[in-house]
Amino acid sequence: QVSILSAMELIWNLCEILFVEAAAAGPLLLRLLDWVRLHVCDVDTMVREVLSSENPSKHKLFWNVVDVFVLQGRMDEARHLLSKEATANPTSMNMYKILDDLMKKMPVPSLGNTQTLTELELKWQHWHEECQRYLQDGTFASNPHMESLCKVLLGDEDAILEKKELMTTWYHFLVTRLLYSHPTVKPMELRFYAQSSMDLFLGGESSPEPLDMILMAAFEFEMHQVIKECSIVLSNWWFVAHLTDLLDHCKLLQSHNLYFGSNMREFLLLEYASGLFSHHSLWQLGVDYFDHCPEYGRVYLELHIERVPLNTEQKALKVLRICEQRQMHEQVRSICKIMAMKALRNNRLGSALSWSIRAKDAAFATLISDRFLKDYCERGCFSDLDLIDNLGPSMLLSDRLTFLGKYREFHRLYGEKRFPEAARLLLTLMTAHIAPCSFWMTLLTDALPLLEQKEVIFSAEQTYELMRCLEDLTAGNPDKQKFQEDDVETTKVEMLRLALARNLARVIVKEGTVEGS
Amino acid sequence: QVSVINTVDTSHEDMIHDAQMDYYGTRLATCSSDRSVKIFDVRNGGQILIADLRGHEGPVWQVAWAHPMYGNILASCSYDRKVIIWKEENGTWEKTYEYTGHDSSVNSVCWAPHDYGLILACGSSDGAISLLSYTGDGQWEIKKISNAHTIGCNAVSWAPAVVPGSLIEQPSGQKPNYIKRFASGGCDNLVKIWKEEDGQWKEEQKLEAHSDWVRDVAWAPSIGLPTSTIASCSQDGRVFIWTCDDASGNSWSPKLLHKFNDVVWHVSWSITANILAVSGGDNKVTLWKESVDGLWACISDVNKGQGGVSAVTEGQQNEQ
Repeated sequence: QVSILSAMELIWNLCEILFVEAAAAGPLLLRLLDWVRLHVCDVDTMVREVLSSENPSKHKLFWNVVDVFVLQGRMDEARHLLSKEATANPTSMNMYKILDDLMKKMPVPSLGNTQTLTELELKWQHWHEECQRYLQDGTFASNPHMESLCKVLLGDEDAILEKKELMTTWYHFLVTRLLYSHPTVKPMELRFYAQSSMDLFLGGESSPEPLDMILMAAFEFEMHQVIKECSIVLSNWWFVAHLTDLLDHCKLLQSHNLYFGSNMREFLLLEYASGLFSHHSLWQLGVDYFDHCPEYGRVYLELHIERVPLNTEQKALKVLRICEQRQMHEQVRSICKIMAMKALRNNRLGSALSWSIRAKDAAFATLISDRFLKDYCERGCFSDLDLIDNLGPSMLLSDRLTFLGKYREFHRLYGEKRFPEAARLLLTLMTAHIAPCSFWMTLLTDALPLLEQKEVIFSAEQTYELMRCLEDLTAGNPDKQKFQEDDVETTKVEMLRLALARNLARVIVKEGTVEGS
Repeated sequence: QVSVINTVDTSHEDMIHDAQMDYYGTRLATCSSDRSVKIFDVRNGGQILIADLRGHEGPVWQVAWAHPMYGNILASCSYDRKVIIWKEENGTWEKTYEYTGHDSSVNSVCWAPHDYGLILACGSSDGAISLLSYTGDGQWEIKKISNAHTIGCNAVSWAPAVVPGSLIEQPSGQKPNYIKRFASGGCDNLVKIWKEEDGQWKEEQKLEAHSDWVRDVAWAPSIGLPTSTIASCSQDGRVFIWTCDDASGNSWSPKLLHKFNDVVWHVSWSITANILAVSGGDNKVTLWKESVDGLWACISDVNKGQGGVSAVTEGQQNEQ
């Protein structure tokens, strides 16, 4: 049973050897041998068992292990085991020496440039003939195991096929065959050997599985076919996207111009990254993938990033940072608006205000400022003072917000007993129409304590202004009836009129008095 | 390979006509002939009933989620001629507005792209399409297009708020001049495209290809390419994909996706518009994708339940 992950590793490695490294004849075989040794692991337990037993040569699986070594071209290990057998059975010493010698002398491709292919072929031909002679002489006739080994060395297909269970797969068979019949195989010749190997190995008993088809496509150097088959068989885009990306970077894929103008690599990466976005934390990886898709990555990211659920403030900030880094202003605005609305629904006015400032949403800021002011009227104090005090230039986002900021400033000045400044500010709020009409009554009421101070604060002119404001307010009010009927309101107005008149009186006197006399 | 991720047992007492995931794929709203609208929390494969909304006096045909920046808002429309807008306040869902301006069954509701504000389009069997725009403080402004479709209007779908071609042209610093458009499908076998000009809605295009009532239309999300795409499905069993290549929206050409053996009730696009989900009377939901050579191929079909599947929605589901 090959698990999905091992299958993927198997395919990936093969693609590396055949496509990326593009191993040439000679080293190709060595790479394929490595590949088989790494990935066909079913026999490893048996090998370990025999090697770790007290007397390996007496183990019932001894010859199996020797066979495995030979089939995988692991000559030194095979010879080592055989030597143990030889010492145990001195009668076969001669046979052993010859076999050992053959195995030692077997020509293999080298990785360096120490010999050309022609040289190797020549040497190999000679060696092959030598093995042939020994076999025909009946040197190994008395020991069937050794004889069969010699046949394997000669590349005898039937002999190799007898050891099917030890190879477990047709691609192992393929490589073994190549090792012992055509070690200088060229990449382009692989396809013929691959097809026949699979046919011989399966022998019509079983039909190829998807994995076999993928490997076959690889041996045939049909890259697109490999990608296609993998896409069909595997249940997510991870493998295919990365493989295609690798091949693309090696400039091996001709751009298949897909209908919507993108190429295959980008198409697969987009699919993979889109899939990541539905995961609660892997979506962050998706961002990076989209970044590497030059044509559609940005648009896909814009569409997906807005749909990441903003469960916590941290998550929202994370998403925002991603958008801001990429100048996705629309998304930033949209997310800030969503967070502002959420905060407002949970009555966290300060948070809502800062979000709407960040979103540069004037309308919402006005709405929230109104809420703040309403709260103040009802409770007599402000919440989130820190925020309002430190608004700075963002105060100018909306008129109402500016008013809120300035009004708070008025309260601060009053608290710091800087009455003249406070008074001036208060007046400006009304005369410059920063304050909404609905709030004027409250402002005038705020002016009362200033009017009642021992010291005169409002100048004559300011007092006249205040009186004008009051008149505007009461005269312009269409609900005169209501005003008159509402006792609290009328009392307030009367008190104000009284205070204003008194202040006027005092200030006229004060201003009229010559200083220092 | 497509796999079913989850099934939700809604305990509706009658046929379910629509199911819609919210913006984030965390909630599911369903509506049924049993006159109720139910909302479920479907995170992590679970299903927790959050609300059971009663207010309609007849089968509820469709539900639609508004963009989260306006809060948690859901619209529903019903055979009882009403459109109800529900809002979640302080953790509970309540009716926030009821529209009764239609003379017969309201068949379809669709929220406009959030860039236009909070606007809802409603299509009715009285042939008219209403547009409800939120103006603030619980007030909605109504505009009506009478006789949009003779006999009745079955579906409405808004065009995305993208200036076509924005992927290629560099957008200017200021807000682009949006032209509001939506598509509608009706009992006159037509798909019509409506455009807003100077505050008035005008019929811009008539798309003819179906031979029976158009049951659903869906305007595909835009990825900034200069093409616009609309999917339409009909009683005649056909699903057409309409594409328009130029920005002015003048020449639409239909391509037949498939002819099914039964009525096709609904079509719905995925977020990035590369997958179309189709549901029909043949009890199947099929997913379609456009291939390299411009042909549409079915990438799955899901056979669920005993009855016909009448609504499909594309949420955050991981499918390939």
